[in-house]
Amino acid sequence: MMNLINSLVFFASISSMVVMYFLIGENRSDIEFHNGNAYLTEEKRKLTVMPPFTFEDYISGDWAKTFDLFVNDNFPSRVSFMEWSVELRKLRGIEVENQEKIVYIKPKNKNLPKFDDQGNPIKFLDDYDESYSGGLLIINGRVYPRSGGSTKMAANFARMVSEYAAQLEGEVRVLTAVPPLSSAFIPAEEYRHYNSQNQQSLEAIRKNLTNGAIFCDVFTELNNHAGEQLYFGTDHHWKPIGAYYAYVAFCKGAGFTPVPLEKMEKRTKTNFLGTMYQLTQDPSVKKNPDVMDYYIPKVKTDALRYSEFGFKGVAAKVFEHGCSGGTTYSTFLGGDRPLMKISTDVKNGRKALVIKNSMGNAFSVYLISHYEELWIVDLRYSKQNMIEIIRTNNINDLIFAPGMNHVMNPNTVNMMRRLGTQSGVYIPPKPSPIVDSTAVIPDTVP
Amino acid sequence: MWIILLLISSFYDYFNGILVERFHGTWKAKLFLVLSVVGNLGILLAYKYGGFIWENIDWMLKNFNDWFNMSLVTPFEKPTNTLPIGISFYTFQTISYVVDVYRGDTKAQRNPLNFLMFVSLFHQLVAGPIVRYVTIADQIENRRVDWNLISSGVGRFCFGLFKKVVVANIASELVDKYMIYTYHGDGNFDLSSYEAWFGIVMFSVQIYFDFSGYSDMAIGLGRMFGFKYDENFKHPYAAQSVADFYRRWHISLGTFLRDYVYFPLGGGRKNRYRNIIIVWILTGFWHGASWNFVLWGLYFGCFMVLEKLLENVLKKTPRIIRHAYTLILIVFSRALFYFDSLYLSNTHFENSDFKHESDWSPLFGFMGNLFNSPNAVNPAFYGDLMMHLYFFILVILLCIPWDEIFTEENRFRLKVERIFYFAQPAVNFALLAIATTLLVNATHNPFIYFRF
Repeated sequence: MMNLINSLVFFASISSMVVMYFLIGENRSDIEFHNGNAYLTEEKRKLTVMPPFTFEDYISGDWAKTFDLFVNDNFPSRVSFMEWSVELRKLRGIEVENQEKIVYIKPKNKNLPKFDDQGNPIKFLDDYDESYSGGLLIINGRVYPRSGGSTKMAANFARMVSEYAAQLEGEVRVLTAVPPLSSAFIPAEEYRHYNSQNQQSLEAIRKNLTNGAIFCDVFTELNNHAGEQLYFGTDHHWKPIGAYYAYVAFCKGAGFTPVPLEKMEKRTKTNFLGTMYQLTQDPSVKKNPDVMDYYIPKVKTDALRYSEFGFKGVAAKVFEHGCSGGTTYSTFLGGDRPLMKISTDVKNGRKALVIKNSMGNAFSVYLISHYEELWIVDLRYSKQNMIEIIRTNNINDLIFAPGMNHVMNPNTVNMMRRLGTQSGVYIPPKPSPIVDSTAVIPDTVP
Repeated sequence: MWIILLLISSFYDYFNGILVERFHGTWKAKLFLVLSVVGNLGILLAYKYGGFIWENIDWMLKNFNDWFNMSLVTPFEKPTNTLPIGISFYTFQTISYVVDVYRGDTKAQRNPLNFLMFVSLFHQLVAGPIVRYVTIADQIENRRVDWNLISSGVGRFCFGLFKKVVVANIASELVDKYMIYTYHGDGNFDLSSYEAWFGIVMFSVQIYFDFSGYSDMAIGLGRMFGFKYDENFKHPYAAQSVADFYRRWHISLGTFLRDYVYFPLGGGRKNRYRNIIIVWILTGFWHGASWNFVLWGLYFGCFMVLEKLLENVLKKTPRIIRHAYTLILIVFSRALFYFDSLYLSNTHFENSDFKHESDWSPLFGFMGNLFNSPNAVNPAFYGDLMMHLYFFILVILLCIPWDEIFTEENRFRLKVERIFYFAQPAVNFALLAIATTLLVNATHNPFIYFRF
């Protein structure tokens, strides 16, 4: 009798999941729609849709792989299961409040784009992939990368910047403003070595810059404020205050006077759980959501964003104040755009082009106080020829402001090198703007 | 494409089996037996070991060219195929079938669909156990499915799933954390030697629960369909010697090589030590096309020989010492197993020479990180130990051979079995629910033995 019950309970459990899918699948609280695409709100990535069946995909196995992801993303009561999963995992042992932990995040193979014969990226990264892979340290509910950079790779980056400085000598000033990793400012004494490792890595940039390229000492400026929270604890980006100190360092290097924070408008966003929480799913991190104070320079701007090929400019905003929750960091520039052009009412005739990844978003917004025109290039997405943009638009300053992760990676350094040689479609200096009324949330959710 | 290979292999041995039976006792039977063995091993060599053979020929020719100033090139292109699904398992199954027919241990299967079913039983096709035809010959023709068998299959399946998802996957997280280190090219390691050894211990846990979990699921599914497969594991980490360990670990491979290689070579009667070494090199080679696996097999072969030579000494050694000796040897062997290359540097991450490496260096402190890694004795490591305390206790409990400690007549065992009889629906439901909960949002959990 019990054997019969045992078997029936098992088969009923399996069958009920299928039934639940049809009952619950329609009403989901964990997704939101932007530009016709469904996104998983918490995980900030596109929801996998049912793959169309083709014989070729079936034979190659692609259909089954996508179907696997589809089932995973659309599992009945997925959010509840994930919450239960966190609770279950706590039963592994004794979790001391604010216990230091190490979490290992597996690198994804798709992390790096492939290139075709002409050296153009075949597939673009989405911002989620930018997040750290490797050892992560969790201390007091805050997540830090378990790394201090690399002098070897920093030198490699500096050589690439120097190549641009040589090519543009006499035409354009070339500056670097690379921030350290948040590991540099872990409060605990036993992790102080990350501070010096970060410093050494960034110093290696200074030592290897040639041809007049200017090094902006972001590390020292941030280190002077090491007692403050310069980086998010739940996200892989820095806080606007950290970016501000980098901006101060940049001004010192560039010969500008930084605008004091008091002369900017301050706004606050709360309850930010970013990528580091998504990666670690750690309860202590969830208990410590970030608060983001951000500062808006009092400058009037007109912004246009371009697709990777840059056919048409679409109206954009320097600050997307509507961003909240998991997309809070998209407040700056509205997230990662392949290319953005900001025109300001600072009529000083100066123009700059910034090469950045998402770390540069919070930094770039301060620069509008010093330039009449600011071009912002995402090193991962743009197919435009940067040299062409610089010469056509009479750019004065070329600013390299990628995060340390991209400085340490030979592939992303090569992507920056390729920006000067690739042949994307040329953008005319003054394209007619097309207003995109749906553009509230960025195409790529950071 | 790999399914076509499986079909070809199946029908090849289906006909070989019939022909071997038809010409029983004649030289023709031997001919078809040889054809079967050569054909199956040929498929294995071509699809599993092709790349390995090419690399070795290429390496030898390059050296030869250097020495004698010649310009010889490898006569064939390097195979780049992926490993056909289940090839290591079904080729051995079909070999055993034809050999058993030749020996007269079983009758040849006349129905091609029945034979195809034997080869392609999805429960165990991908990662074993290696099911011999004689084991299920009767069940193929006349199997009976009843609720008792289904129920025991359900229990076994749920337990296997729990072992894989809860134990192996959590151990795998620790392996990733403590076996793959980040090296930035200028001496910045983030892994110390004892952390790396902890990683190897966790890999030993992972590989056992991963593989035995799969075997349990295969055995459970088999029962649901009316098949009774032999056990593949019997608490291997309770072993008292290396020989004992391999009587308890991947039993289906061990018995296959014993019956079809070791005994025909002469077994313990003639050239015993040579036979042991041959069997163990083959065992290593079966696991993968790499010299590391050969070395791994040789490592165990040597210890098996040593144990035979020192049999009397081993018998007099206290149980606890024997057990500790066995565990140390096994954990050490896992290092050979984990790094499937002999090279010191084994970069995990394609396109990057600077990140996520996994090799031997941290284990032996080759890079000066024996005890002086920046993170040595860091609080997070102890935090990890505490955070997994109950997990470690669960692992130890699951490794203890309770069924050997409490024999079938034991009263306590009978009492527990009676309680379990009534509790099994709830227990199995709980195991299934826990596994499902942990699997949601965790796609692609490949079993380690898929790659063999």
